[in-house]
Amino acid sequence: MLKAKLFQASPNPLQLSIECIPGELHALVGPSGSGKTTALRTIAGLNNAESGKIECNGKLWFEADDVRGVRTSLEPADRSCGFLFQQYALFPHLTALENVCIPLHNSANDLTQRRLLAGQWLERMGITELADRMPNQLSGGQQQRVALARALARSPQILLLDEPFSAIDAPTRQGLYKTLAELRKDLNIPILLVTHDLREADLLADRITVIDNGVGLQTAPPQVLFERPRNSRVAELVGISNKFEGVFAAGKLSWNGCQRIFDVVDKGKIPPNTPVAWVIPADGISLHENSSSTSIQTQVEQISALGQIAVIQLRTIEGNHVITWEASAAEVKRLALEIGKNTYLEIDGGKIHIMPLRPINDPRRFTN
Amino acid sequence: MFDLEALILSLKLAIWTLVLILPFGVWVAHSLQNMGGKRSWIEAALALPLVLPPTVLGYYLLVGLGGKTILGIPLVFSFAGILIASLIVNLPFAIQPIQRAFEAINPEILEAAQVSGLSKWQIFRLIELPLAWRGITSAAVLTFAHTLGEFGVILMVGGAIPGETKTVSISIYDKVQSFDSSGAGALSLILLGTSLIAIALSYGVFGGHPSLTRKRRG
Repeated sequence: MLKAKLFQASPNPLQLSIECIPGELHALVGPSGSGKTTALRTIAGLNNAESGKIECNGKLWFEADDVRGVRTSLEPADRSCGFLFQQYALFPHLTALENVCIPLHNSANDLTQRRLLAGQWLERMGITELADRMPNQLSGGQQQRVALARALARSPQILLLDEPFSAIDAPTRQGLYKTLAELRKDLNIPILLVTHDLREADLLADRITVIDNGVGLQTAPPQVLFERPRNSRVAELVGISNKFEGVFAAGKLSWNGCQRIFDVVDKGKIPPNTPVAWVIPADGISLHENSSSTSIQTQVEQISALGQIAVIQLRTIEGNHVITWEASAAEVKRLALEIGKNTYLEIDGGKIHIMPLRPINDPRRFTN
Repeated sequence: MFDLEALILSLKLAIWTLVLILPFGVWVAHSLQNMGGKRSWIEAALALPLVLPPTVLGYYLLVGLGGKTILGIPLVFSFAGILIASLIVNLPFAIQPIQRAFEAINPEILEAAQVSGLSKWQIFRLIELPLAWRGITSAAVLTFAHTLGEFGVILMVGGAIPGETKTVSISIYDKVQSFDSSGAGALSLILLGTSLIAIALSYGVFGGHPSLTRKRRG
């Protein structure tokens, strides 16, 4: 199991706590420059944090605090982690097989044995026939497979993946997703994946930590993260489009600029009369031709047809809020939607998730 | 008359210079990578022989080495003396190409070596040295060719003692002074040929390694 608590003020701020159990794929997600790669490099020992602690399977890799400074800091070579670089970082003067032999230098003294073991890894990656090719004779996907074989060859205790699929075309990426999924079952080690692609994290990860400006904002399974973001910034970062502001008091949410009051379930964490952000998932919204006592009048502002799906942009008459709604082509036809048409929106209060509005640099956001 | 003795002496000097300066050049060039603020001072000092007039350098060496011996061998007007002079003169030619070659290695490749579990020595031996090979070859060729042609410093420190310090360049000068045009021409042609072969070797045979000349992806 990997446990890491990292803090540094500069050059890239970091205030993060991560736990990853064997067999888990834990994604670190955040915008560019948010510190996710710095966190990964710090765990690998390529950077040192100002303070914090990194433990892997009970072994202390790094420990430092403000008073006594760095007390323990193992060299990257001694940390037993496989690291997959975004740009592969294959040794350009060595063949694919020789690249995979490199991490075996200290575990298998005999060259024949090293070549045998490396060959087995290439076979596992499905690239045996590329063993004698130089890196510049391999495609991006093939290079990444060699790099993955190299990262795993020394039987690491954790696997660290730094945006490993971002430089690869979509079909090849799908193949690598499959390989990674198969490897996960066999390896049973913690895997940390850094990505800025939420869909990728949603597809691959058991849990996601959202990072912003070096701070871990929320760690949760993808489903929970998308449905119940901890705060407004998380909702923004995970790309929730229907995010609004209101005031919450005694189970009632009033929407800024609207008369409509929603009955909302809350865990009692939010004090009365608190300004809040709230989100509503797609299945909490429905659109009707006729009004009802609970409906909100809207006007169709934009219709973007994307194959069998259409993204409808609605604007509320009261409050002037913009709501995005995804509908099938059939539903667009049934409601006879067209730009400028008045429609009636129903929002299911039970599906509303409310969260506190907090400024970005509020230290209380370090919640892990 | 063709001065074979001078040619053999020049070759001996060039080979000895190469043997001694290359390991030192690799060590210095590699060490410079990890140096902080003092780096530019050391680099400037190492580049000094490039801009210092050979006679000035020769003068200081003559003054500095005069009267001193190593294992009983005097350091001026001897082969040991011109070897020391040659080593100093060639420092920038040996160090700079190797330094550039080390600098050209993508830092991520070295990090990949670190996380692959290699020790610093293993990284140097298995990754850095092979990747810097072209720079080392260039340094060797430049040093060899430059030593064969060195004149001013050698003359100042060694004089022109046949078989001991009279190298090809000095022999060419002597022959021109004594109106032996054919002898001077023959030796000059040999130096020209050697220089051309050295450059061809550097750019041809050693310059074509595909993995080192390829453009890095992404």
